[in-house]
Amino acid sequence: MLFSSMTFVFMFLPIVCTLYLLVRKELKNFVLLAASILFYAWGEPRYVAIMLATIVINWLGGILISETKYKKTMLFLTVIGDLSFLFYFKYFNFFVENINALIGGHIDFIKVIMPIGISFYTFQAISYVVDVYREEVKAQKDIYKLALYISLFPQLVAGPIVKYHDVADQIENRTVDFDKVYYGVRRFIVGLAKKMLLANTMGAVADKIFTQPTEQLDVAISWLGAVCYTLQIYYDFSGYSDMAIGLGSIFGFKFLENFNYPFISKSISEYWRRWHISLGSWFRDYMFLPLSRAFSLSKTYGKAMHAIGRKRANILLTFIALFIVWFATGFWHGAAWTFIVWGLYNGFFIFVEILTGWNKDQKSIGGRIAQHLYTILVFVLSFVIFRSNTLSYAWDYLLTMFGIKQGGEVIYKMAYYVDRLEIIALIVGIFCATPVFAKMLSLNEKHKVLNILIDVWLLVLFVVSTSYIAASTYNPFIYFRF
Amino acid sequence: MNQAEVYQQLNEIFKENLDLDEVNLTASTTADDIEGWDSLAHIGLIAAIEQQFGIRFVMKEIVGLHNVGEMVELILSKLNA
Repeated sequence: MLFSSMTFVFMFLPIVCTLYLLVRKELKNFVLLAASILFYAWGEPRYVAIMLATIVINWLGGILISETKYKKTMLFLTVIGDLSFLFYFKYFNFFVENINALIGGHIDFIKVIMPIGISFYTFQAISYVVDVYREEVKAQKDIYKLALYISLFPQLVAGPIVKYHDVADQIENRTVDFDKVYYGVRRFIVGLAKKMLLANTMGAVADKIFTQPTEQLDVAISWLGAVCYTLQIYYDFSGYSDMAIGLGSIFGFKFLENFNYPFISKSISEYWRRWHISLGSWFRDYMFLPLSRAFSLSKTYGKAMHAIGRKRANILLTFIALFIVWFATGFWHGAAWTFIVWGLYNGFFIFVEILTGWNKDQKSIGGRIAQHLYTILVFVLSFVIFRSNTLSYAWDYLLTMFGIKQGGEVIYKMAYYVDRLEIIALIVGIFCATPVFAKMLSLNEKHKVLNILIDVWLLVLFVVSTSYIAASTYNPFIYFRF
Repeated sequence: MNQAEVYQQLNEIFKENLDLDEVNLTASTTADDIEGWDSLAHIGLIAAIEQQFGIRFVMKEIVGLHNVGEMVELILSKLNA
């Protein structure tokens, strides 16, 4: 079920909220769990079984890790179990297709369909068992509570990826009050408006451009497409995260933020601390830190240190760890070479920034402006790779952007791709991607009249957004694919 | 070793590892306050601290520290163990 659908906004959510608020405290978790499973089963009844299997495996795994002597083995087996589901359902097709291409042969296979949200809930499950292994949290004995953590519908299908140690206490004990519900409703509407008004409008432009063969594009149009897609994915995903955080708040949860104005970053390193924060911190806590720690304790590292010195050995270690983590980050997004290249592209710039010290803020104003321009350029180009269906399309598109490749005569001119409304959305989109507007509002947080005006404004946004839902065809979030 | 000495040695380690001219760590200092103290630098810092004090951290401690105060407490508790 989509957050931005009539069924969700006008039926599912009001019914679940009412039930949730009415029942006794001890029953609230059961209401949420039942709602979450229904939410998931709505679109994919067949795949509920896979999610339930994940829950049972990790519940057992958590208990075995904490109760037996074989902690490491049990952790290893549980994570292997989680990853094999993910590999089969998400990557099987990709591997067989690539083997076929490589050997020029033809292995017949039936395409596996990916259960929605599997990348997200698998990572949450891994977070749980690793946290238990590290003794950061106690193993959860009540299976329904673990089930709630893994399946909680606000963040089930597209994040934020909540870490178990961040919500363990909240699952056991949380309060619902008017302020949280009020905040949650406001936040949900902001997210809905981002999705329906900005993301979908920008998406319409980007789709028109990215479905053209690159010969049909010129420099200006290809830049327009790249910028529109950048804004689309930001508002699509941060809008979804707003809705998830808002819904969480309605039910008394406090999820960590997933975005923090990524486009104002001064380096790609900083950008990744502001964009999809829950994924970046997942990879940091559960992959990058353990990996580089293991490297730094290994004999090979010791030998390298003697041979080439501490500084160079550290650079080597950083390079290997970054390569693995960014390969994984790219591959996590999708079983396609474009995502792998996109991941490594990000890792490459982070590595270069570390080597050159470019990840530290420059002292002069000119230097800082240069850092902003560099960062904007790098992430806009990164989304061209992300959006393209094939690597060769991405390459041709990038060449077109820089005027290196020019096809035949361009039939469709600029006016075909954008109308006046879309240009307004583009300007609003760029403006709202900076914290200027939010800062202005937060200066007068306690101002009563201003708060009423904001509520009226949000009500308008809500009405307009829902009328867009009613009028539009099926339009899922980009991150549902991952 | 007392608390003040640990802070003093930590200042030196941070200066050397992060290429900074001046470091003044306090109990409430966090990674956000020190330029360049990101996850990459963190592993290097941990390794240098382990070498300097002759102690060993586990993963839970490496990911779970919230500020320098907690780090100093941890170092002292390991030294006195």
